[in-house]
Amino acid sequence: MPDDTRHASRVTRHDTLSPITHHSSRIPYFPGCALKDQARAFERSAQLAMQALGWELFELPRWNCCGTVYSLASDDLMRHLGPVRNLVRAQELGEGRLVALCAMCYNTLARSSRFVEADPERLRRINAFMDEEPDYRGGVEVVHLLQLLRDEVGYGEIEAKVARSLEGVRVAPYYGCMLLRPREVGIDDPDSPEVMEELLSSLGAEPVEFPQRAECCGAYQAVSRPEIARGRVQEIVSSARRAGAELIATSCPLCQFNLETHQNVTHHSSPIAVVYFTQLLALALGVPGDQLGFELLRLDPRPVLSKKELV
Amino acid sequence: MPEIMDRIKEANQAVTTGLDDSTIKHWVTVYIMGKGYRVPADITIMQAMEYAGYRFVRGAGCRAGFCGACATVYRTAGDWRLKTALACQTRVEDGMYLVQIPFTPAEKPTYDLEKEPPDGTTLLKYFPEVARCVACNTCTKACPQDLEMMDAIQAALRGDLEEVTELSFDCIQCGLCAMRCPAEITHYHVTQLARRLYGRTLSVPQHVLDRVAEIEAGKYEDEFQRLMSMSREELEELYRTEQREKGGLKSRDASRVTRNGQGEG
Amino acid sequence: MPEELKLIRGYPEYMLESIERVEESRPRRLEEGPPPSMTLEERKRLLERYHPDYAPGGKRALKVGPNKGDVAPNEVADLLEAYPLVEPGEVALHVDIDVDILILGGGLAGTMAAIWASERGIPPDRILLATKLRHGDSNSIMAQGGTQAADKPYDSPAIHFLDAYGGGHFTNKPDVLRALVEDAPFIMKWLTELGCLFDRDENGEFIEDWGGGTSRPRMHAARDYTGMEELRVIRDEFRSRGFGLLEFYPAVELLTDPKGRVAGAVLWNMETDEYKVVRAKAVILATGGFGRLHIRGFPTTNHYGATADGLVLAYRAGAVMRDLDTVQYHPTGAAYPQQIVGLLITEKVRGLGAQVVNDQGEAFVFPLEPRDVEAAAIIRECYDRERCLVTPTGLRGVWLDSPMIEEIHGKGTIEKRLPAMYRMYQRFGIDMSRDPILVFPTLHYQNGGVETDPWGRTNVEGLFVAGEVTGGVHGKNRLMGNSTLDCLVFGRRAGLAAADYVKEAEPPEKVTLDHLEGFIKELQDAGIPRERRSPMLLPDYRGKRVLARTIDLL
Repeated sequence: MPDDTRHASRVTRHDTLSPITHHSSRIPYFPGCALKDQARAFERSAQLAMQALGWELFELPRWNCCGTVYSLASDDLMRHLGPVRNLVRAQELGEGRLVALCAMCYNTLARSSRFVEADPERLRRINAFMDEEPDYRGGVEVVHLLQLLRDEVGYGEIEAKVARSLEGVRVAPYYGCMLLRPREVGIDDPDSPEVMEELLSSLGAEPVEFPQRAECCGAYQAVSRPEIARGRVQEIVSSARRAGAELIATSCPLCQFNLETHQNVTHHSSPIAVVYFTQLLALALGVPGDQLGFELLRLDPRPVLSKKELV
Repeated sequence: MPEIMDRIKEANQAVTTGLDDSTIKHWVTVYIMGKGYRVPADITIMQAMEYAGYRFVRGAGCRAGFCGACATVYRTAGDWRLKTALACQTRVEDGMYLVQIPFTPAEKPTYDLEKEPPDGTTLLKYFPEVARCVACNTCTKACPQDLEMMDAIQAALRGDLEEVTELSFDCIQCGLCAMRCPAEITHYHVTQLARRLYGRTLSVPQHVLDRVAEIEAGKYEDEFQRLMSMSREELEELYRTEQREKGGLKSRDASRVTRNGQGEG
Repeated sequence: MPEELKLIRGYPEYMLESIERVEESRPRRLEEGPPPSMTLEERKRLLERYHPDYAPGGKRALKVGPNKGDVAPNEVADLLEAYPLVEPGEVALHVDIDVDILILGGGLAGTMAAIWASERGIPPDRILLATKLRHGDSNSIMAQGGTQAADKPYDSPAIHFLDAYGGGHFTNKPDVLRALVEDAPFIMKWLTELGCLFDRDENGEFIEDWGGGTSRPRMHAARDYTGMEELRVIRDEFRSRGFGLLEFYPAVELLTDPKGRVAGAVLWNMETDEYKVVRAKAVILATGGFGRLHIRGFPTTNHYGATADGLVLAYRAGAVMRDLDTVQYHPTGAAYPQQIVGLLITEKVRGLGAQVVNDQGEAFVFPLEPRDVEAAAIIRECYDRERCLVTPTGLRGVWLDSPMIEEIHGKGTIEKRLPAMYRMYQRFGIDMSRDPILVFPTLHYQNGGVETDPWGRTNVEGLFVAGEVTGGVHGKNRLMGNSTLDCLVFGRRAGLAAADYVKEAEPPEKVTLDHLEGFIKELQDAGIPRERRSPMLLPDYRGKRVLARTIDLL
């Protein structure tokens, strides 16, 4: 029989979730490559969390890789085909918004969207090249899930729906780069962001603000020059540890991978697990702990959570 | 009876020995690597090239659309688009300007699938270049089988082996996608590995395993000894009774079987 | 084709009336079924009167060689009774390549032989596969319908044996046929483990269809790409193992040692004219069929290189042939449009329920008779009863009522189970799920060939054979689904047997073309014209007009 985890990557709301409540809102989301493979826990927990809030996140049909990195060259139109094709998909559904979960996908899609809308000639040429697609007319808004939770769902609503308070759990939100920079697409003040802290507060957790929370984890340097990533991560994690963090929460699979893999674990300090913020969100909203993919993480957060009898 | 054979032979001459000019009513001009040739209208590119005097060494294989040997790239007058086709399956058009690409250089990595996990990590291990895909869709436009190659590569990128299989099954490995890809991916090797990996996630059906075990255990030994010792006449008689009357070859037509092809036989 | 001819849904206007009659009779035919299958006596009478093999004038007795006196089609005899391309003394025979096993032919059988010889312990770099075109260019890659294997509880290898034996007119070699049917389930298991994707139902079991002359449904298929799927998977495996491979290097003659043992071959580079002398302890011949000889002027389903080269080479080395007097004409080759005349319309179409219908809309024959019987019935309907369609180019054909498949199995079945064929007709503007298709018999398979034992051994030491080039397993008529099985089973067996042989055998002391001398003398004594040469290597379809005005200047 086929392997169970193989099917997990194709989980839609039909497979694991209970029927949608009548007051739900429906919005397409862009999974991105990592959420289907290394970061399955992120996708799964996000869908379960949103369902608990009465929202339906449905997968954008026939999506393709966002390209991962926004091309900085002003004439490199080809690198925008990938992102724009996804916006066309949303447009075809008549949707005005597209939710992204992975911070890098969010950043790439949002910046590409602005790039093509900034100059009609760019859009015209891209549309002419993609002659097998309907023309992209512009106007699809790329939204990160944290924005949706803050601006549409609202922290009040979230707090009201908390079934299992995360009281006593000290969580350090780690923003990394992609949620906040550049300013045009940042979801919060890059010098003093609060969106993740506020979300964690509404869940009853104790957010731990630490100085390195918006410093780069090293990103792709982990592949070519791992010592750079190691250096960055160790500063970040030790900063979080000094601030008293029991867990680190993030919104980016690459950050999550780097923070997990390059932590410096000595006999002085035990590792700090790195979770996706949606796993905590879903947990607080009452989703059973064994459905949240904690076992898919390399550093297990369950010891910390079970101390508060959350799992 | 002999004259039936003669009539059949005569009727097929166009295909077996070449077209007879006197029967052609309509002509077109095609340009083979830039040289114009007047050829009968409404034949395939392959037939036209042979008519013009080319004898294929490269560029002809099954002649039926299965092997990808006759990959052809062409333009037509007044149309800026670059088009692709299989020469054996595509009719000539007046003004067609063509060349054949019988070979695309590609390095196929060697692997032992017994040692590789049947998932996306294996694909990325052997073909990291799939991550270079910019979703330009040029491969899809190049495919003479109308496969959605970009979608297949995207599925490969995220490890969805089943989707790669669905999208790429009809691939005849002609190489046109790889030739055109700006990211220099060799799609047909990627999808071949993906399909094999997907196949390896499916277990051998139990009924096959059971039968193999039975044969190995000699279950049919006696029966075959009996068959081997029978004379031709005895076997004929057995065939008559077992197969045709008692066994399964019913007088009803084969369409009367269940969806799975299971007959009452 | 004249442009004045208006096409409707891909067909000339004048054919529409007949198509409508087929549509009208379809509900009744679905209900009643076709005529019943024939008795053995009826089959015999039909064959004698209408099958091309039985029509006089097409065959003659061989004048030379091990099968002197036996009958073969004229086109085959012309090649067997011919002078070598390379005669003794014409080329220096310094050995260029030395291997343990040389495999000639890159289809299913040749590829299997390589893999299994290495499984038996021969190092891959001691195995060389040489092929005339590309590795994979073969009849194998076009096999559409399926591979037979008796792996379901309602079936058994003994029943499979009887089916094939009856279909072969009781002339198959029993021990060879037994090997075929008993190995079949193992082959399916092995291919599946390699990653080969055969059609399955929702329970994960193989979907197995009927075939002509079978008493149980046991045809395993990968949509209608069965041969292609099998071959591309084992070719992928082959490419990972480090075998020697030479493409566009046909063998033009076998080499023998002074005792007559086969010792290698002379390979010829078709692109540079260079030849290579390969010495090998064993040679496995897997060179396929002879469709491009267009026997009796029939069109063919075969690939470009199917020119009986292997038969010729083996014959000169003293190999005995059998059943060369029978040729398989596939009952349903495409008859329209002109561009695809002769191409295979797989028996699976009939296996899925399509009936064979004449121009009046009547089903006139049981759709799943053994192939020779089915072909003869269609020829009778076209040329004797004249209840057929005539295409604008003068070809005759009857309808294969493909839309019935949609009625029986549900809309979309054809696109799902026969995607290659559906696509082929779409390219020419025809929707075969809506309209029937026109068919006529086409030259398809070499039933006989070099006689083999259950392990691919021939009467010539050092020479092994596998696949379509062999004779004995199918008798005088092959059943659908047994050809790919033949290649897979005997490719493997020949590989294993050759491996065992080379482990014991000494390398040939000398490679020669001496075996040709006796043969050439026989040809001279029989008065064979000197210009007749073989192997053919490639057919020639160049336009007559052009050929009349060519000069060989370079």
